Amino acid sequence: MAYVFTFPDVGEGIHEGQVVEWLVAEGDAVDEDQPLLKVETDKAVVELPSPKAGTVLKLYVAADATIHVGEPLVTIGEAGERVPDDVGPTDSDLPVPEPDGSTAAVAPPVEAAARRPLATPRTRARARKLGVNLQGLQGTGAGGRITDEDVERAARRGPSLEIAAEPARPRASAPAPPVGGGTVMGTEDGEVERIPLSHLRKVIAGAMRTSKQTSAHVTHVDEADVTDLVAHYKKSKPTIEERYGVKFSLLPMFIKALVAVLRQYPTFNATVDEEAGEFLLKRYYNIGIAVDTPEGLIVPVVRNADQKDMITLAREVGDLAERARSRRLDLSELRGGTCTITNIGPLGGVFATPIINQPELAILGLHAIKERPVVVDGEIAIRDMMYLSVSFDHRWVDGAEAARFMTDLVRLVSAPGLLMARL
Amino acid sequence: MVVGSVVRGCQVVVIGAGPGGYVAAIRAAQLGKDVILVEKEERLGGVCLNVGCIPSKALIHAADLADELRGAKKMGLKVEGLYVDLPQMVRWKDGIVQRLTGGVKFLCEKSGIEVVHGHAEFVSDRKLAVATSDGRVDIDFETAIIATGSRPMGLDGFPHDGEKIIGSSEALSLQTVPDRLVVIGAGYIGLELGMVYAKLGAKVSIVEFLPELLPDLDPDVAKALARRLKQLKIDLHLEHRAERFEEGTPSVVIAQGPDAELRVETDVVMMSVGRVPNSDALALDKVGVTTDEKGFIQVDDRMRTSIPGIYAIGDVVGGVLLAHKAYQEAKVAAEVIAGEPAAFDNAAVPAVIYTDPEVAWSGLTEREAADQGYSVVTGTFPFSASGRAMSLDSTEGFVKAIADADSKRLLGVVAVGRGVSEFIGEATLALEMGAFLEDVALTIHPHPTMSEAFQEAVEAALGKAVHIVNK
Repeated sequence: MAYVFTFPDVGEGIHEGQVVEWLVAEGDAVDEDQPLLKVETDKAVVELPSPKAGTVLKLYVAADATIHVGEPLVTIGEAGERVPDDVGPTDSDLPVPEPDGSTAAVAPPVEAAARRPLATPRTRARARKLGVNLQGLQGTGAGGRITDEDVERAARRGPSLEIAAEPARPRASAPAPPVGGGTVMGTEDGEVERIPLSHLRKVIAGAMRTSKQTSAHVTHVDEADVTDLVAHYKKSKPTIEERYGVKFSLLPMFIKALVAVLRQYPTFNATVDEEAGEFLLKRYYNIGIAVDTPEGLIVPVVRNADQKDMITLAREVGDLAERARSRRLDLSELRGGTCTITNIGPLGGVFATPIINQPELAILGLHAIKERPVVVDGEIAIRDMMYLSVSFDHRWVDGAEAARFMTDLVRLVSAPGLLMARL
Repeated sequence: MVVGSVVRGCQVVVIGAGPGGYVAAIRAAQLGKDVILVEKEERLGGVCLNVGCIPSKALIHAADLADELRGAKKMGLKVEGLYVDLPQMVRWKDGIVQRLTGGVKFLCEKSGIEVVHGHAEFVSDRKLAVATSDGRVDIDFETAIIATGSRPMGLDGFPHDGEKIIGSSEALSLQTVPDRLVVIGAGYIGLELGMVYAKLGAKVSIVEFLPELLPDLDPDVAKALARRLKQLKIDLHLEHRAERFEEGTPSVVIAQGPDAELRVETDVVMMSVGRVPNSDALALDKVGVTTDEKGFIQVDDRMRTSIPGIYAIGDVVGGVLLAHKAYQEAKVAAEVIAGEPAAFDNAAVPAVIYTDPEVAWSGLTEREAADQGYSVVTGTFPFSASGRAMSLDSTEGFVKAIADADSKRLLGVVAVGRGVSEFIGEATLALEMGAFLEDVALTIHPHPTMSEAFQEAVEAALGKAVHIVNK
């Protein structure tokens, strides 16, 4: 008996999604739990497994199609079995997607990945030292050879200091066009490329609009002398990485500092129930980490950050960021945040005014760490300086409170000894 | 349980003092680490210095000299009554080994490395137990580098007795040249030592399971070697599975060929059928270091094993089992431990077989380059066209350059011939530097040398060789 698989209710209030790609074609044999297709919801890209073994008799929707909960996706049954005709649209209005094999012919040959970057041992060593990935780096030397200067240029583009778990991806332009690419059309003023918005892009747009319309955004900025923190970090990083096999960054230190200050200022770790007229002060500290992915912004959550040591935080942040970029996060990892950190420093800029991640009341912005001349004890000294920003909802939090919040945070990140005392 | 065991502490403990281990220990010490080096044998240097690379090269040189003298009549040199005094040859070789292993000991002492002799086992991921002649020594370490190497593989039907059935180690210390010698396995050890004993007067037969000689290399290499084996009157039995040894007068080696059973009478059998990693006696299961199905320890490009703080280098991690690969891995491991951004990212690991003629290669073979999707162009220069080769009375062999036909980037070099081991380093430098064919072609090579053939082979690949007719 043929079985019609419909888009299941995956929870989390998700009602619709977009088919990213089919992993099977009509006529394929599938096992139970074998992934059938990838669907992008507003939270993540999920693979939907087959509920039973059999043969794929019919696909009802094409790649890129928007689907709603309960709509038929695929019929699975015995080979040669008749497909029930009382479900779904007819063949004529839905093209069957090409099987995966159709793209293989034009895929770049394997050697592209296998070929070594053209660089001398000295340049390769320099790249390792500066954390520059040679794969994909365009060389300006003879015959495309990557030179020391190319590596140094690439390193300067990246962060002078990595706060994030991974170096920021150098990116030529705004989010990569979604699957399918765009259509170029001529207009009176010139050519325009129309690119369909991805589901994620629409979700981000909705969330940003809602946040701006809902909250009374104010951003408070302060600067911190993080020379000691950076020194402490640089000293402990090799030992920690060697001993625990984890990529260690400054971010866990900032998460710890934020949690310490949130304990002191609970309204920054809260939401507001307007109907009941009550603050909901969270007694747990789930810190959202804004991750820049090729498809757009995703904010996975590090749960109970107050109870975890920095090694664990480093490992979790690295894992979440990596899976956010490959869109392999579980929905549960994207919810339940109480306050968010956005780390834009590595991408440049002096400071920014981040938008609050609703329904939270504040977002901490970490900006670039740069050596700057400052006055220390009446003398000009070169110090590692950074700007920190907190965007808060002025409906519920006053500016004076935000100033006090920030002053305490600056104090903690300026004095690692103090921070340690508060862990 | 030994009562009153001694406990030591160190930042880095290195297990095994072969080319990987002693280099790792010295480099770690240079980087300010407090190092203990554990070695189960009395002498440092491992297989390479004691029963491998160095002693075999000494015997190969002596045997080559004998062979050349016999054939020197056409040069106007008549040698009569050449007598092979094998015990003296072995003493000379032992002197070299002693000098080198003593040198390693001296270097370790001067670097402030403490050497502990005994068999090491892991107790935990931060503790090692060493069974020394004075009892158990426990070593508490921060990081460990496993450099325990490999040992010859055995073969059913050929129980090692050290006299009639020997391995390469005993073959380096024989007191008399056997009348007949059967070598099982035509890998580089079997070929090198088989040729040595043929030149010293033994009737040598080589039995090889595979249907080809050195199947991973360029087929032209096997052709050149097969010609020389024939000249040396060595019987090569390919595609024969060695089955058993029947002791008697005479003893017989029995092997199964594709069509018939082969019986070869012999006095001594030397086994050289491959090597297995020394990873089984370290109690690795206690710390959870993972190995592959053959027992090789799995590491990343920073020589880190699956357990943080434990590194492994050299033969025990697999890949090509060569001392210079271990040297490089040793430096990487020590530098990574010291927090430096080192990694094993070499473009090529050169290899040499000290047969007559020598075989040396680096980078990709023609087949590997094609498999990686390159459209391949090659250029070959035969030593029969080299003045230097003629003046050395060694015109066997060639140099072949392998390059990407589109970009003309050099991808690999393979050479067969006298002394080619000496310039494969140059080819490897070219590969590391990402040289294009033009780079090598425009580099002046000294005349007359064997290395000129490399330049000519590259020019041939560009279609502009001068001393041969271009295809």
